[in-house]
Amino acid sequence: MINRTLYQKEWKTNWILLIIFIGVLTMYAVMIIAMFDPEMGDSLRIMAASMPQIFAAFGMADVGTTLLDFVAGYLYGMLLIAFPAVYIIILSNRLVARYVDNGSMAYLLAVPEKRKNIVGTQAIFLFTSLFVMLVYVMAVILVTSWFMFPGELAIPEFIRVNIGMFGLWIMTGGIAFFGSCLFNETKLALGMSSAFVIYSLLIQMISQVGDKFEVLKYITPFTLFDIDGLTAGNGRAWIACGVMYAAGIFFFVAGIEVFKKKNLPI
Amino acid sequence: MKMIEIDHITKDYGEQRGVFDLDFSVNQGETLGFLGPNGAGKTTTIRQLLGFIRPDRGTVQIMGKDCFSCADEIQKSLGYLPGEIAFIDSMSGMEFIQFAARMKKMKDLGRAPELMEQFELNANGKIKKMSKGMKQKIGIVCAFMQDPEILILDEPTSGLDPLMQNRFVELILSEKRRGKTILMSSHIFEEVERTCDRAAIIRQGRLVAVDTIEKLCSGRHKRMEITFAQEDMAKAYAREFPKAEQNGSKVLLKVGRNVDDAVKKAGAYTVTDLDVRTQSLEEFFLHFYGGEKND
Repeated sequence: MINRTLYQKEWKTNWILLIIFIGVLTMYAVMIIAMFDPEMGDSLRIMAASMPQIFAAFGMADVGTTLLDFVAGYLYGMLLIAFPAVYIIILSNRLVARYVDNGSMAYLLAVPEKRKNIVGTQAIFLFTSLFVMLVYVMAVILVTSWFMFPGELAIPEFIRVNIGMFGLWIMTGGIAFFGSCLFNETKLALGMSSAFVIYSLLIQMISQVGDKFEVLKYITPFTLFDIDGLTAGNGRAWIACGVMYAAGIFFFVAGIEVFKKKNLPI
Repeated sequence: MKMIEIDHITKDYGEQRGVFDLDFSVNQGETLGFLGPNGAGKTTTIRQLLGFIRPDRGTVQIMGKDCFSCADEIQKSLGYLPGEIAFIDSMSGMEFIQFAARMKKMKDLGRAPELMEQFELNANGKIKKMSKGMKQKIGIVCAFMQDPEILILDEPTSGLDPLMQNRFVELILSEKRRGKTILMSSHIFEEVERTCDRAAIIRQGRLVAVDTIEKLCSGRHKRMEITFAQEDMAKAYAREFPKAEQNGSKVLLKVGRNVDDAVKKAGAYTVTDLDVRTQSLEEFFLHFYGGEKND
């Protein structure tokens, strides 16, 4: 099913990109957790009160008092969506469209292997590298929390939030990967994935600013990631989460199918 | 037995670009030259043979298998040299050769070391910094290293210096002796003349001729420019050939099959200089096919 040579080659080429992104995320995660202060009342809350709209736009309004609420509000509301999205845009473009655009896809396809397996390998690489990112981010947050505030973080709720967030990554990854398979030029592939991310994020930010725009949340797919619902463990949040996974898988498969059948200018 | 079979394929890109009702085949053990000026549709045809694009109409088969749906099976016995070589820039030449070998599911590097020696290739540098010729050599190594039964080569000598072009011709000739089936595109007639049994000629996406090299060569003309020691000699010589143009001590003459006659008659005078220019492929087409232009 997957081509090991190609899979290893992609790790060799792209590990630096992953390191850069998880490096940045580590920095933010540690910083945010360090700001949590259960007894003294936290400094971020004071800052938030001084500019409520801006904080609301970033999903940081009404952040609760537990460490989980704090982490979910300040990290999972924006940072852990936006940075991985940029990673997905860059990586998905590299995995298919760039090879087609510069012509080196000829060498990947002039081999005794079905097209489906070549492009499938790329999809699985994107998936596994996101999974590595998820496991790493979870580990950093768990270890930092345990080290600074032992016993404060509610583990089952934390895991549920992460399952939801990974669904959002998979959905974004699927759409970006589909674009990479569909287009022969990197600028179009990058355009499509960036447009999706910018649109979704921007609408989400606007919808969070005030009641006037709240209705906008129904037109951004990122609303499907319902942090509060997942923390509470309610059914609707799980359904929304399932929809993200389903959409992601659908687009991955659709990308592979499109690539299998298309004419390649290489 | 037909190894490569192109059966009335059409791939229309609009504005006269593409290939139209192309139909020819390559037999087992044969070397076929695929000739045509730039933009004639050679690469479009080859892309269909590799299964990168599908024809709008008609079929392309290699060893009786459809080139698009069975590309992976065909690839087991196929070596391919792309016309516009694009490697993975971040790798060194050697890394790329190793990568290509593993992608082709070869156990080792096969004939790569031998070929690298033959083409005096040092592949240790980064591909990004390599010259066109170096890249071409890597492409050749990658196409031949698995010792495939069938070779599809898109303008294989582009970027090579004359010495390396000769090495390449030797390589083709030795592969031919070993019974390989080769399809080689080119826009240079001489290259094809030296290596191929037959040639298919394509112009504006349409096949103009498929014939043996001898047949094609017989229709070919050369322009001879002979400079004589004295103007009288030139005049006398020019009188022997009705179509010759005389200009001072120079005589300009088109020769085809009568080359022997032209040379022997010139021997009667003092020749101070001789220049022979072969027709370009375009001129050749115009001459060979009655000079009509169909655009």
